[in-house]
Amino acid sequence: MTVTESLAQHVVDSLVAELAPVLGDEHVLTSKTARWNRARVPAPFPVHRWSERVPDLVVLPASTEEVAHVVRVANKYSVAIVPRDGGTGLTDGAVPERRGIVVDVKRMNQIHEIDLENGTCTVGVGINMLKLNEVLGKHGFIYPDDPASYPCSLIGGRIGTSGWSLVGSRYGHSRDLVLSFDMVLPTGETITVGDGGGQKLTKSSSGYQLKHLFMGHQGTLGIATRATLKLFPKPEAEFSPFWAFADYETAYRAVGALPRAGVATFAGAVLFDEWKVDYLRRDDEAYIPQPSSVKALVCAVAYGNEDEVRAGGRRLMRIARDLGARYLGDEISEGDWAARHDRYATPLHGRTRNGQVAPMSWHCEDAAINYTRLPAVRVAWHGILDRLRRDYDVFDDWGMFAYTSGNTGLDYLTEIDVGIWEQELDDRAWAAWVDAKREIAAVSLAHGGSISACHGSCREGEVDLVPEELGGAYEVMLKIKRALDPNNVMNPGKYGLDRAYRTEDS
Amino acid sequence: MTDLVPLPDPTVHSEAGSSTEEFVAEWRNAAYNCFSSGHKFCREVCPVTQVTRNETWTPTAFHANVVAMEQGDLTIEDVAADYVNCTGCGACELRCPNTLYTGDFYRFRTRTVDLVKGVRALAVENGIHQPGWQRWNELTDQRTHEPVLGEQPVGQDQVRDWADGLNIPIGGENILFVDCEAAFYRTSVPRAVAQMLQLGGYEFGLMQEQWCCGGPAAEMGYVDQAKRFARHNLDNWHASGAKRILVLDPHDYISFTEDYPKYFGAEFDLEVVLVIEIFAEMIRDGRLTPHVPIEKAITYHDPCRLNKRKGIWKEPREILRAIPGLDFKDVDRVTQWSYCSGGGGGLPIEKPELTKRISDVRIGKAAELEVDTLVSACPWSERPLSASGDEQNIDVTDLHELLAESLGITVGGRRGDT
Repeated sequence: MTVTESLAQHVVDSLVAELAPVLGDEHVLTSKTARWNRARVPAPFPVHRWSERVPDLVVLPASTEEVAHVVRVANKYSVAIVPRDGGTGLTDGAVPERRGIVVDVKRMNQIHEIDLENGTCTVGVGINMLKLNEVLGKHGFIYPDDPASYPCSLIGGRIGTSGWSLVGSRYGHSRDLVLSFDMVLPTGETITVGDGGGQKLTKSSSGYQLKHLFMGHQGTLGIATRATLKLFPKPEAEFSPFWAFADYETAYRAVGALPRAGVATFAGAVLFDEWKVDYLRRDDEAYIPQPSSVKALVCAVAYGNEDEVRAGGRRLMRIARDLGARYLGDEISEGDWAARHDRYATPLHGRTRNGQVAPMSWHCEDAAINYTRLPAVRVAWHGILDRLRRDYDVFDDWGMFAYTSGNTGLDYLTEIDVGIWEQELDDRAWAAWVDAKREIAAVSLAHGGSISACHGSCREGEVDLVPEELGGAYEVMLKIKRALDPNNVMNPGKYGLDRAYRTEDS
Repeated sequence: MTDLVPLPDPTVHSEAGSSTEEFVAEWRNAAYNCFSSGHKFCREVCPVTQVTRNETWTPTAFHANVVAMEQGDLTIEDVAADYVNCTGCGACELRCPNTLYTGDFYRFRTRTVDLVKGVRALAVENGIHQPGWQRWNELTDQRTHEPVLGEQPVGQDQVRDWADGLNIPIGGENILFVDCEAAFYRTSVPRAVAQMLQLGGYEFGLMQEQWCCGGPAAEMGYVDQAKRFARHNLDNWHASGAKRILVLDPHDYISFTEDYPKYFGAEFDLEVVLVIEIFAEMIRDGRLTPHVPIEKAITYHDPCRLNKRKGIWKEPREILRAIPGLDFKDVDRVTQWSYCSGGGGGLPIEKPELTKRISDVRIGKAAELEVDTLVSACPWSERPLSASGDEQNIDVTDLHELLAESLGITVGGRRGDT
């Protein structure tokens, strides 16, 4: 991978001179700390190569108009622009691979309107869901977009990555919950996308349906600035049972049966495989220990009115019991579900092959997989990790989850959690990790799945397989990219979209 | 987590010399714990981040910079000014998933406040000064007290002025230590405290020669000065036979329970008592009975250093619930993790405009509850909160002032400029 040179100082000076009068001096940042800290995302990367991805400058716009100005200036100078919201994504969407200008939208965090009668709110994309819900709760509403990064990710990032929600089986995912949004296109024009031209509609059939196009593009098609969101009544009740199983196969049957039961308040179910239970037992001191006869776990969650949750919960309990589940009790169930949001971080350590504790951080690879393919994907993925671990003693297999993506048990987000000793992640180990990621993605495709249900598929390794996954649709992606971003300024280097600009000769 | 694999020696490329090397060696693993997980739960509870929305000034950035220093990408010169942007409130530490996750079992807590203090100290050690802080600490050194009244004199001649007419002895086993802000600016607070102790029959005296606790100097990086001041106070206490230090200011409480034991080890053999806990106990056992109704709609501001850093939130509420007439609209302590006055960590000295924005937000939260009064228990929070309160028509009162009033005490003194 070639490393982009930093811009010449006179170019940076020219950019600052064009941007500062509009955004204000204090919102155009060139300090080293400002730039280094906008090159950070949670996904692992060899820390000795941090400086390769540092932007040339950072801007903190406060309005759609200011964002549009930045984009126009970037086009004028042919400088890369990288949108940055929470910077909590796991596919490097917010990483400035070609340096340039990071457009950090966190100042755009206003609540512009709460429409109590229609049940919508309109916000700046820099607002966080938890903070938004603190306000909505006072009006009896909730915005139920609930990723693991709920306390820190921002609405704009949810749009840019087309996020997945833990309770999406009940309420839908980001693409269902975001009704419309203002979008600054790569050439600086602003449009509003959403059903019916983009206001407060959940369904129209007028014109092309562009909303999905502008969600999940990882910042390659522009910058969302203001969004209108669909609200739900704040649920009266939550039911979150945890069950233990004697083997994976039974737990697998349960995690399929629960969504298929047609319980309206069902909001999600999660399967913990044997590796995950082993890992929790081995190294997760916060996890309440279970006897060694427990090999797999399933949890489910239901939200809604109290009478409906109670009735639906009884049905879910019966289904699990009939499949041989042992209910772990109210205390563990309630505590563990509450902790799910805080389990974004796992313990600060993992194990080397000989069982020594080492400081490791968490990473996970995800995929969208149909129910019937989950067992085979699981075996193949653990095999890949086992081989990687044998060669490089800086990785640890922390097991797998499978989460329902919908309320019929059709497809699941499955993920394998990997402990990585980042302080020891050298170039060779990194290359092996990239190869492993490519293999993991290939398994997903071989089983008719998608490389990612949740994170996106922009990173080294898996990104090579995106054309294979999308087939002819990938060629359409290239055409759209070139049509909307003629100068390739908008987050260049992602999704292999550079090939949209290659001429016959090159 | 006791059998960690030994880590290789850090390779330090920084130009700033051995002090940076030592600092990075001390902090690298802690910084990696944050850097490599990178979850950033801290951001939305950080008072500075909430108002600036600037990722450079987030707790996680403060950790990441250490990793970049180890890599040789950043130096102390590059980072020093950014570390001004912290009130030392500790919210980030509580909200950190690493604390939440392993805290219950190992009592592990991510240490960001100490890291910020460490970087500030490293900066001063390398001759990098923030102008406001430098001047503040020079004046403190000259006057033995912080220049909380600007050009007006503060020093030994005035340090006991607040106690005029209260007939408090000097010395004794129990010493009431009054912080600079309360001793010179909001004198109603120590007057309330002293008179309530007297009413409850608690014997105490004042120091023979009280100096600033040194905590603010330590927070701004002037560690040698902080230690000199601490040494003076400790020697003075020992000379007068003190056994117990009574504290009314949460910042002093941190200094005496965290900094002094670090400086002196076993030599620091005094008990430190927060007077709020004494008053709660006196109300419980009937030595004090609030009886004068106070017809106010109030909410309580959990001072950061009590709630977030020391876990003290129960007793202030106990006291408020004992005062007749109050319409107390409480906000739970966890929600208040993200509240702050902006008055701590030296922020108002170097960036008063940021402190004001943080205080404005806090007062705005109180206004949403439709109260007329915000009750705090930290003199350092009360000046910025009062300034914002004046603009939003909310009075800011100290818990001790309010309790004294309900006990029928005419407090006297002054509530700062308000």
